[in-house]
Amino acid sequence: MTTTALERRQTPRSARRVIGRTILYALFIAAAAAILLPFAWMISAGLKRNNDVFTIPIQWIPHDVQWRNFADIWSQIPMTTYLRNTVFLSIVITFLQVLTGSFAAYGFAKVKFRGRDTLFVLYIATIALPWQAYMVPQYIMMVKAGLTDTFLSLILIQAFGAFGVFLMRQFYLTIPDDLCEAARIDGLNEYGIWARIILPLSKPALASLALLTFVTTWNDYMGPFIYLTDNDHWTIQLGLQSFIGEFNADYAMMMTGSVLSVLPILVIFLFGQRYFIQGIATSGMKG
Amino acid sequence: MTDLITASPDSPSVLARPRPRRRRSRGWRNALIGWSFILPNLIGFVAITLVPVLAMFALSFASWDGYNPPSWVGLKNFRRLFKDDASMTALWNTLYYAVGYVPLTMLAALGLALLLNRKMRGVAFFRAVAFFPYITSLVAVAIVWNMLFNPQFGPVNQFLGWFGVHGPGWTTSTTWAMPAVIVTSVWRDMGYYMILFLAGLQAIPKELYEAAEVDGTNAWQRFRAVTVPGLRPTSFLVLILLTVQAFKVFDLIYVMTQGGPGDATLVLAQQIYQTGIVDGQYGYASAISVLLFALVLVLTLIQFWFNGRRERK
Amino acid sequence: MHRRKFLQLAASAAAAGPLLSACGSSSGSSSGSDGPVTLTVSTWSMSTTPEFKALFDAFQKLYPNITIKPVDILAADYSTKVKVMLSGGDSTDIITMKNTTDYGQFAERGQLRDISSLASSGTAPSLQGLSSFKMNDKYYALPYRQDFWALFYNKKLFDAAGKPYPTNMTWDEYATLAESLTTGSGGSKVYGTYHHTWRSVVQAISAAQTGGDLIGGKYEFFTDQYDIALGIQNAGAALDYGTATTQKTGYQAMIETGKTAMLPMGTWLIGTLWADKKSGTTDIDWSMAPMPQRSGASGVTTFGSPTAFSINKKAKNVDAAEKFIDFATGPQGAAIVAGIGIVPALLNDDTRKVYFGLDGMPTDAGFQTAFKPDKVVLEMPVNDKSSQIDTILTAEHTLVMTKQKSIAAGIAEMDSRVQTEVE
Repeated sequence: MTTTALERRQTPRSARRVIGRTILYALFIAAAAAILLPFAWMISAGLKRNNDVFTIPIQWIPHDVQWRNFADIWSQIPMTTYLRNTVFLSIVITFLQVLTGSFAAYGFAKVKFRGRDTLFVLYIATIALPWQAYMVPQYIMMVKAGLTDTFLSLILIQAFGAFGVFLMRQFYLTIPDDLCEAARIDGLNEYGIWARIILPLSKPALASLALLTFVTTWNDYMGPFIYLTDNDHWTIQLGLQSFIGEFNADYAMMMTGSVLSVLPILVIFLFGQRYFIQGIATSGMKG
Repeated sequence: MTDLITASPDSPSVLARPRPRRRRSRGWRNALIGWSFILPNLIGFVAITLVPVLAMFALSFASWDGYNPPSWVGLKNFRRLFKDDASMTALWNTLYYAVGYVPLTMLAALGLALLLNRKMRGVAFFRAVAFFPYITSLVAVAIVWNMLFNPQFGPVNQFLGWFGVHGPGWTTSTTWAMPAVIVTSVWRDMGYYMILFLAGLQAIPKELYEAAEVDGTNAWQRFRAVTVPGLRPTSFLVLILLTVQAFKVFDLIYVMTQGGPGDATLVLAQQIYQTGIVDGQYGYASAISVLLFALVLVLTLIQFWFNGRRERK
Repeated sequence: MHRRKFLQLAASAAAAGPLLSACGSSSGSSSGSDGPVTLTVSTWSMSTTPEFKALFDAFQKLYPNITIKPVDILAADYSTKVKVMLSGGDSTDIITMKNTTDYGQFAERGQLRDISSLASSGTAPSLQGLSSFKMNDKYYALPYRQDFWALFYNKKLFDAAGKPYPTNMTWDEYATLAESLTTGSGGSKVYGTYHHTWRSVVQAISAAQTGGDLIGGKYEFFTDQYDIALGIQNAGAALDYGTATTQKTGYQAMIETGKTAMLPMGTWLIGTLWADKKSGTTDIDWSMAPMPQRSGASGVTTFGSPTAFSINKKAKNVDAAEKFIDFATGPQGAAIVAGIGIVPALLNDDTRKVYFGLDGMPTDAGFQTAFKPDKVVLEMPVNDKSSQIDTILTAEHTLVMTKQKSIAAGIAEMDSRVQTEVE
């Protein structure tokens, strides 16, 4: 029958595809294992006694597994408070960065005016400076404003960075100007174009900006360290560093905490990466 | 496409009023609109970042201990900078790092993005894996990579041994510490920039691929004709971000080698931290920062210029 | 686990502290009648540094109208944050000095209050290491703990090798001993000794024992000590420097897990070993001997680093701050500090008695002898250039220890860099 003939003709092709897929997956999994090696060490160290962490050669499987580390950490340091602070800061900063960044990017990408490009280059050159270079003047300014040891200080420092502006601007450049022009003819003003045309089209870029800002804020150590003094204001990264004392360090607990602190990021990542599936975005440009 | 352009307000058919006046008022209107978009971010940026940066510029001409009033010393800090072996070493090391780190990370990130920009089972998992190095604790990164690079027992040198190559001391060698640090940095950051490339790939209209496929092109031709130009703004973004990142690198190197052995991996950011905050010579540290700023500014301008030329073509 | 136990120990020691020295508490309670005072004190890693809580609790009991509010800062970056805070005009009353390098900078810049009057009253003149805080004939800080370096050892490993426990010895004897104590190979190798990666392990001890000047710009006096250190490493009797530094080897784990028979280290390790043994983290049977000496030297010379309290120039509660420093560096404070296994700067027969009487401290005579070095030289001289010099000496130290440079070449480079780069 025709179906069997068809099947017979297709078998070699699909078999080849199956083999191809298998090889691809094997390669992917091998690469994944290699990439995850330091992460594996992190988990392994988090399950050890502190004195067993830095053995030479590395002991990959703890001979005396300390599952209780994962329970003990919650009582040893105020993890819940640290988590709450970190979540709050990360969400607020991410929200503001995405909002002001994508808004300003429209000005840089789609509106032509004098001084635009100079201002833009200034923005970018400034992000090249390591924070240590202007940390002290900035701190003095914050003291004068009475903002040290408040969440507001960190929010102000991190929410208005140039990173979001730059990222979104580059993305907007790929959206054809004709689309904006068409919308203008339809009677939309510039703010309407931004909100109704550009934003919906830039979901992948918004997702990546949000994801990267969230992770950067979540993992930031130096910023919270300098600005937040009261222990009730500390973030996870400060909590993890508190396992390093002056003369002795509890690296096992630190790794336990590091593993725990990665989990929320993983959830956010798996949620956000759904926007990177090709085909979701349509340019709206037909032909 | 063409009908959209002819319908735009600039087309002759709509041009009724005298041109110059309209142009000028439109320029004003545009400026107003442009600034209104930029302002919410700009106000925060100027107040929180730009003002301290300007203070830093001023301090580069002063001697300041971080406490007592600064005193003006003119160009003394800059003269010291070009005589100071440690700062010059840091400058060369930073350039060395950038030359290795920027292209390698770019290639790795692009490769990962192309590989993982497809519909397949478990792709979310593999993307997460590629991103994991970026969120792995720096201590873990330093320990495991140092172990991999261990001159006697490390897998890297064992692997080289199979080919009869006697591997170097890597992070314990002044010659090989920097390459080792670069490799680790590329491994750590490739997932981060992969995210940007993945987002960039979504911006390329699917229709362009379909059209190219209809024209009977092969995958490589499609990559050249559709992906490469479509990714240009993203590649530019990643290139600039990587350059910036390379010039202010600090954390990973510090955890891995503390700038050593000797000063083999001492970079500008560490030198700024060391001279400013640790030694309390903020004027001198600011002068190093100004040098770093100028360097990146020039590189950024060059990249902008090249990018603009390519776009105009 | 181990941390919480440590805290409990600290708390109980704190409660016992005032009892141990109840004699000197009569003058306290009446002063400061003008209402409650909140005294702010900068501390590092409160949860792992028990002495702070112990001192604060006892002090507050003595002065009920003064409440101490710690400004807790992570130990790893303590001096960065304190420097930034003081630049911003911070008014934390008491600034704790983690090391003399920072002290030199703060005092030089006028960020600290002159407390010379405190330094000359009561027991203060007999504080160990006090003289190192003298700057321009004034004192801006008083030490409350004084750690010095000694040789820790694992008794079981000595017994197994049939060697007598170490006492006074020369560096050459030490090197030979280290070799003979080294056993096994690969993952189960036990080293004769462990030299931590800090430059002080070689440089500060040689400066102390030869009388060399660490900020002078002439470092030939390091030569013998580098010969010893590299000799031991080349013989395989100590963990290779490159491995130790890249794998972030912890000296505490090396001794506690029996991977090394000997370990030259500061006396802060006593408190750690003592507490870890109590909490069951380790079962090592340890004791302490004096640091090895240069041949022909008389007496025991070692180096040490004091930890001190100072008053911020911008402090709001100077009166209370002075009371606290007087208390913490005086006999009561010293007894509390000694009670949790830390070496107080006020080291006299009373505090030694507290210290040696602690349950679980080694009881051998050798330990007690090691506790009385004849001369303790400051690890790094107080000078506003010392942090720059430290950077250079550290860089060259790593090169010599990883054998990228010969000893002579490394020292020549130290000389020329310190002479030309430091400004």
